[in-house]
Amino acid sequence: MMLSQIAMALGFSLILLGLYGALTNRDIIRMIVSFTIASTGVNVVLVSVGYLPGRSAPILDEAVPVAEAATRITDPVPQALVLTAIVIGLGVTALMLAYAYRLFRARGSLDISDFTELKW
Amino acid sequence: MTAFPNFEWVQIAYALLTLFIVINYGMVMTAVVRKIGARVGGRYGIPVWQNYVDLLKNIALRSKISHGVMYYLGPVFRLTGGVGLLMFVPTIYGSEWHQNFSYAGDLILALYFVFFGTLGMALGAGESGHPHSAIGVSRGLAQVTMAELPLALGVFALSLQYQTLDITEIVAAQQGSIFNWTVFTNPLATVAAMVAFVGTMMRSPFDVAMAPQEIPIGPPTEYHSSYLALMQTNRVLFPVAKTVIYMNLFFGGATSWAEFAIKVFCLYMISVVIGVVHPRFRVEQSIRFFLKWGLPIGVLSILVV
Amino acid sequence: MVSPLLILAAGLGAAFILGLLRGTSERPAFYVTIAALAAMSFVALSWVVGLVLGQTQPVEILTAGARPPFAINLFMGGAEAALISVVTLTGLLSAFYMRADLMRLGRRAMAVLLVLIMALSGLILTRDLFNLFVFIELIVIATAGLVLLSKDTRALAAGFKYLIVSQVISILLLVGVIFTYHAHGSLNIDDIAATPMAFTGASLATFLVLIALVLELKPFPANGWALDIYESAHPGFSALFSAASGTAALFAADKLFTAAGPAWLPLATGVGIVTFVGANLLALSQSHDRRLLGYSSVGQIGLVLLVVGQKALLGADFAYVAGGIVISHAVAKAGLFWLSGMVKGRTLSDWAALCQNPALVVAFATFIAMLTGLPPFPAFYAKWVLVHEFAATGQLPMLAIFLIAALIEAGVLFRWFGKAIKHDAQRSLTYHLSRETIVLIAMLAGWGLGWVWGALSDQGNVMTALPLLFALLFLPMDILPARVKNAIAMAGLVVWFVISYQDLDPLRLVFMIIMMLGGAVLFLASFHHQGRRMGFYAPAMIMYAGMALLLEAFTAFQFFAAWEMLTIGSYFLILRGKESEPHALSYILFSLGGAFALLAGFALAAQGQRIFWIEDLSELTGTLAPWVFVLLALGFLTKTAAMGLHIWLPGAHAEAETDVSPMVSGILLKAGLFGLFVLVMEMGHQRLYGVDLTHLLVWLGALSAFIGAVLAAFQEDAKRLLAYSSISQMGYAVFGLALMNHLGWLLAMMFAINHFVYKSMLFLAVGGVKERTHTRLMYQMGGLITLMPLSFVSVLVGIIAMSGVPPLSGFGGRWIFYNAIMSTDLRLPMVLVFMAGPVGFLYLFRLIHTIFLGQPKDNLRQVKEAPFWIILPQMLFVAFLIAFAALPGMILQRVDRYIGTLFGDQPLVWSGRIVNSAYGTWNPVAIWGVIIVVFVTVLGLLIWMNHNAQRVKQFNIVFSAERPFKPQTTHFAWNFFAPYRKAMGFLETPVSTSFWTGVTNALHGTAEFSRKLYTGNGQTYAVHLLLFVIAVYLISMGASS
Repeated sequence: MMLSQIAMALGFSLILLGLYGALTNRDIIRMIVSFTIASTGVNVVLVSVGYLPGRSAPILDEAVPVAEAATRITDPVPQALVLTAIVIGLGVTALMLAYAYRLFRARGSLDISDFTELKW
Repeated sequence: MTAFPNFEWVQIAYALLTLFIVINYGMVMTAVVRKIGARVGGRYGIPVWQNYVDLLKNIALRSKISHGVMYYLGPVFRLTGGVGLLMFVPTIYGSEWHQNFSYAGDLILALYFVFFGTLGMALGAGESGHPHSAIGVSRGLAQVTMAELPLALGVFALSLQYQTLDITEIVAAQQGSIFNWTVFTNPLATVAAMVAFVGTMMRSPFDVAMAPQEIPIGPPTEYHSSYLALMQTNRVLFPVAKTVIYMNLFFGGATSWAEFAIKVFCLYMISVVIGVVHPRFRVEQSIRFFLKWGLPIGVLSILVV
Repeated sequence: MVSPLLILAAGLGAAFILGLLRGTSERPAFYVTIAALAAMSFVALSWVVGLVLGQTQPVEILTAGARPPFAINLFMGGAEAALISVVTLTGLLSAFYMRADLMRLGRRAMAVLLVLIMALSGLILTRDLFNLFVFIELIVIATAGLVLLSKDTRALAAGFKYLIVSQVISILLLVGVIFTYHAHGSLNIDDIAATPMAFTGASLATFLVLIALVLELKPFPANGWALDIYESAHPGFSALFSAASGTAALFAADKLFTAAGPAWLPLATGVGIVTFVGANLLALSQSHDRRLLGYSSVGQIGLVLLVVGQKALLGADFAYVAGGIVISHAVAKAGLFWLSGMVKGRTLSDWAALCQNPALVVAFATFIAMLTGLPPFPAFYAKWVLVHEFAATGQLPMLAIFLIAALIEAGVLFRWFGKAIKHDAQRSLTYHLSRETIVLIAMLAGWGLGWVWGALSDQGNVMTALPLLFALLFLPMDILPARVKNAIAMAGLVVWFVISYQDLDPLRLVFMIIMMLGGAVLFLASFHHQGRRMGFYAPAMIMYAGMALLLEAFTAFQFFAAWEMLTIGSYFLILRGKESEPHALSYILFSLGGAFALLAGFALAAQGQRIFWIEDLSELTGTLAPWVFVLLALGFLTKTAAMGLHIWLPGAHAEAETDVSPMVSGILLKAGLFGLFVLVMEMGHQRLYGVDLTHLLVWLGALSAFIGAVLAAFQEDAKRLLAYSSISQMGYAVFGLALMNHLGWLLAMMFAINHFVYKSMLFLAVGGVKERTHTRLMYQMGGLITLMPLSFVSVLVGIIAMSGVPPLSGFGGRWIFYNAIMSTDLRLPMVLVFMAGPVGFLYLFRLIHTIFLGQPKDNLRQVKEAPFWIILPQMLFVAFLIAFAALPGMILQRVDRYIGTLFGDQPLVWSGRIVNSAYGTWNPVAIWGVIIVVFVTVLGLLIWMNHNAQRVKQFNIVFSAERPFKPQTTHFAWNFFAPYRKAMGFLETPVSTSFWTGVTNALHGTAEFSRKLYTGNGQTYAVHLLLFVIAVYLISMGASS
C-alpha cells in the first residue's frame, strides 16, 4: 500500500522534475538528460500502478504454480509495458543524442535557442 | 390590330399642319420674347420676323463644310427629335386634326424621346473635334442629370394621381374648371416639374451649356449654313413642343389654337422672366440647386399623392 | 484474402533484408524497398476491393494465440483498408519520388522509410492501446530519421524540435495508457469502449490519452514543430508526413474518441475548429510555399478532427464525410508537396515555373480545388453533408465559423494559384519525368475519387453530368488548334440547347437562350484567336456547364454544385487577363463567399432532409424562412454585384480578355439574376424584424443602379466604365424583381435580355478597339469613327439602346419600368432610379465621344477596323436589337403570359404589335415608323440643301483665337465630367472598398501578429504544448461541470 504510493509519488516527481529540467535548460545535452529522468519517472509510475502488495513477481515456476498464479503474482502487464517503454526510451534517447551530435557539428553550439531559423 | 390604328393618309397632312403652325408660332414667339427683353432693357430690339431672316440667310449660305458623317447627321437627329416629340404628343385636346401620332405611345415615350435629339446633336458636335462642343455637351449632360429629376418625380406623382400615363386622359381629367388643372389639384408636383422646366429651357441661369454671350461654346459651335438652319428650326420648335407637354400635364392642355398660344406663351415667359433677373449658374451650382430645391419638392410630391 | 498482417510483415521483413545487403548495393536495396511497398499496397488494395465487392468480411486478427485482452489484436475493416491503401500508396509513390535521395543515403534510409510505412499501417490496424503507443514511437523515430533526407541543414533543428515534443507527448500518452489500464483492466480499445467512464476527474487518464493523440495531430497553436518539419524536410517526405502520417494519426485519434464515448467528442470539435480557423488564418501571411502547405495540412487535419467531434451527430454519414475530407486532403497535399519538389524557388511566385507545363498546371488547380472543397471532388460532398448536419443540429455558430475559415483557406490557396499563373517564373522547373508522372497519378486519383464520392452520394454524381464531362473533354483536347476547339464548343452549346429547351418554362427558356445560344454567338468572337489558346476552353466550358446545369437544377445540391462549377470556370477565365491577378482573387473570394452563403441558406432550409427540392423553399415558414431568404439573397447578390458586394466586378470584367469580358458580363451575371428569380419566386415576401426583405432588395437595386451609373461616369478606362455600368444595369434588374409584381418581373427579364445584348456588344466593340489601339484609356483615343466605322455603329446602337431612348429596345424596358412602379406602394426608392436614368447618358456619351469622336491621335491614324470575328457578333447583336425593338412580343409575350400564370393577372394586353397596360400604350412599330419617316425627311432636306458640303480635314476648326495642331491638347476627354465630379464627386468615396480592405487588413494583421508565436525555439514549442494541454483540460472541465 504505502510502497506503491511512495513509488507513484516518486515517479510523478521525477516526471515533473524531468519536464522542468527539459523546459528550463537551454543546453541540448541537459535537455536530453532531463527527458531521460522524466521517462524514468514514467517507468516508475507504470510499475507502481501494476504493483500489488504481498505478491511475487509474475514468473511461473516452482514457487508459483500456474493454478495459484492469479492470486499470488502481481499484474504482469505493466511490467511488460515498462520493458517495452524502456527499450523505446533508449532508442529515442540515442536518436536525440545523435541529433545533438550532428547539431553541434553543424553549428558548433548546443544551445537550443541557436536553432531558430525556422519560425513564423 | 395593326400598328397604326385607323390610319389614313390625311393624318399626315394634319400632322404637317400642326408642325407648320407650331414652327411659325415658335418663330414669332421667340422673336417677340427677345423684343420684349430688348424693350425692357431700353433697346429697340429685333423685328418679329428676324428668325425667318436668319433662317433664310443660313440656308442660302454658300460655304458649307462637313467634319464627317456623324457631324452631318447631328442636326438631323436634332430636328427629328423636336418634330418627333411634337408628333408623339397630342397638341390640341379634342381636335381630331391635331392628335398627331400620339397613339404610338404615352407620356413615357415623350419623356424619353426628349433625349433623342440631344444625344444625336451631341454626337454630331463631337465629331467636329471642336473642344468647345465637347465641353458644352459635358456641361449640358451633367446639368440635365439633375434638372430632369424633379420632372420625373413630378410626372410620377401626376401619373399616380390620375392613374394613367396617357396624356390625352390626363388632359381630359383636367377639363371642366380651371381648378381641375393639375397646378391646383397637385401644386407640389407642378412646382417640382416647373423647376425642371426652367432648368431645361436653356435660359439663364441654367444656360451654361450654350453660353451664348461669351466666346461661342456649346454643341452648335461648329455648325453653320443649313445645319444651323435645321438647328434653328429646332430651337424654335423644340421649346414649344416641350412646353406643350407641360401645358398638357399641368395646365389643362389646350382645346383651341388660341388657348394654346396664350398658355405656351405664358409658360415660356416663366423661364424668360427668371432668366433675365438671374445670373448664370455654373454647372455644379445648378446641380446643387436642383438637389437642394427640386429634389425635396419632387420627393414630397410623390409622398403626398 | 491475404492476411493483413502481411502488410506489417512485408515492411519489417524487407527492412531486415535491407540490413543484410551490402552497404554499396543501393540499387537492389531500392528495388527491395519498392517491392515491399508495392506488396503492402497490393494487400491493402485487395482488401478494399474485397470489402467493397462483398467478397470478404471485416476481420479481427489475433496474435500470440490468445484472445484480447491477453494478446494484441488487430482489425481490418473498410476504413482501415482504405486508409492503409492511402498510406502505403503514398509511401510507394514517395519512395519513387525520393529515389535519388534514398539512393544517396543508402539502405538505412530505405529501411527507415519501410518502418515508417509499416508503423503507420500498424497504427491504423491495431486495437491495443499500448501497441498504439509503440507504433507512435516507431513513427517518431522513423520520422526523425527521414527528416534527415533533406539537404536543407535547417531540417536538423526541425527534427530535434520534433523529438523534444514527441518526448513530452509520449510521457503524457504513457501515463494516460497506464491509468486507463488501471481503470479498465484492459488495454484493448474495444474493452475500453465497452465500459465507458463518466466525464469526471477520474477520467483524467482518458483525457491524457486523447490529448496525446490530439497533439499528434498538430493542433493549433501547439504545432510549431510540425510547421518547421514541413518547411525544411524533403518534399517527398513532407508528402508522407502530411498525407500518410496525418491520415493514420487521425484514424488513431478517431478510434480512441470512439472508445472514450460521446462525452469526449466536444473536445475534438473544439480543438478541431480552433485549429482549422487558426491555421488558415496564419497561413494568410505565409510566403514560403512548403510552410504554407504545412499550415494548410494542419488546418485540414483540424477540420477532420472537427468532423470526428461531430461523429455522434453525423451517424452513418461519418465515414463519408470524414473520409471525403481525409482522402481529398491526402491526395491533394501529397500532390502539392510532390509538385513543390519540382519548383526551384521557395516563394509562392516561384510556382510560376509550372506554367511551362500545362499538365502540371491542371494538377495544381486540381489539388487546390480538392483542398477548398470544390466540385466534383470528395471534400465537396463532405462539406455539403457536414454543413447540413451543422444546420440540422442547430450548431449555427459552428457553421458560420467553419464557412468563414473555409473562405480564408480558399483565399490563401487561390492567391497562391493566381501568383503561380500570373507571375513570371524566375527559375525554370526541375523536370523529372518520374516526378511528373507521380504528380499526375495523384491528380488522376483525385478525379477518380471525385467519381467514387459522387457515386456514393445520395445527391447525385456531379462527375456524370453530361455538360461537365463535355467541358472536361477540352482538357485533353487542348492540343487542338483554337479554332477547332471553338467550333466544337459552339456546337456543344447549341446541341445542349436543342436537346434540353423543351422541358423548360419560358422564364428558364429565356435564360437558356441567353446562356447557351448567346454563349455560342459570343464564341464567334473567339475565332479571332490563332494558335492553340491553351487553358481557355476547358474553364469556359466548365462555366457554361455550370450554367446549363443551374437552369435544370431541381434540388438544392444540384443548384449549389452547378453554382460552384460556373464560379470556378469563370474564375479561371478571368484569371487569363493580363493584369487580372488581384481582381480574379477578389472575384473568387466574393463568389465563394456568396456560394457559402447559399450553402448555409440551403442547409438551414433543408433542416436535415437528405434531398431538398428547390421548390420546397416556398413551404418554409416560421422564424427560419427569412434567414434562409437573407442568406440565399446574399449569395445571389454577390453574383449580380449589388452595391457593397460589387468591388470585385470592375477589375474582373475590365481586365478579362476581349472575348471573355462579354461572357462574364453579358452572360455570367445572369446566373445571379436567375438565382434571385428562383428565390423570390419560391419565397416571395419574407419579413425580418418587421421589414419586408423584398423592400430592402428594392432599395439595394435602386442604390446599385444609381451609384453604379455615377461611378461609371467617372471612369477613364473604357472597360471599367462598362463594368460599372453592369452594376447599374443589374441594379435595375434586381429592383424590378424585388417589386414583386408582374411588370416588375417582366422588367427584370427585359433587362436580362437587353443587358446581355448591348453589354456583350459594347464589350466586344471596346475590346476590338483595344485590340487595335492597345489601350483601354479613352482619353488616349479619339476620332476613331472613320477608322473603325462598324465598331462605331455598334457602340452607337448600344448606347441608344442602353440609355432607353426610343426607338431601340431600352425604351421598352423604361416603359415597363414606369408601368411597374405605378402598381407598387414603394415610392422613395424610385428617386434613386430616376436619378440613375439620366446619369446613364453621362457615361454612355463619354464612351462614344472620347473613343470615336473628337480628334484622332497621331499614333492611331493607321489603325484598322476591329478584326472580322469580333465585329461579326456585334453586327448580329445590332440586328437583334433593332428587331427586338420593333417586335418585342416575339420574346416578351411568352414570358409575360408565363409570369401571368404565377401572379394570376395579365396587366399587359398584346393586341397585334401594340402593347397596352392599364396606364398607357407602347406601340413600337408606330414609334419606328414616325421616327424613320421624320428622320429620312429631314435628312433628305439637309442633303438637298447641303449636298455640296466640303469635307474638311481634322484641324479645320478654330478656338481660343488659334487653330489647333495637336490632338492631345484639343481632344476634350480626360476627366470629361469635371463639373459633375465637383458636384457629385462625394459619391466616389470608396466606402465598400475601404470596408473590405479593412476586413482583409485586419485578418492579415492578426495573422502577421499571431504567427510570431512560433519563435522557432524547440523549448518554447514544448511549453506551448504543455500550456495547450492545461488550457484544454481546464476548458473541458469547465465545460463539463
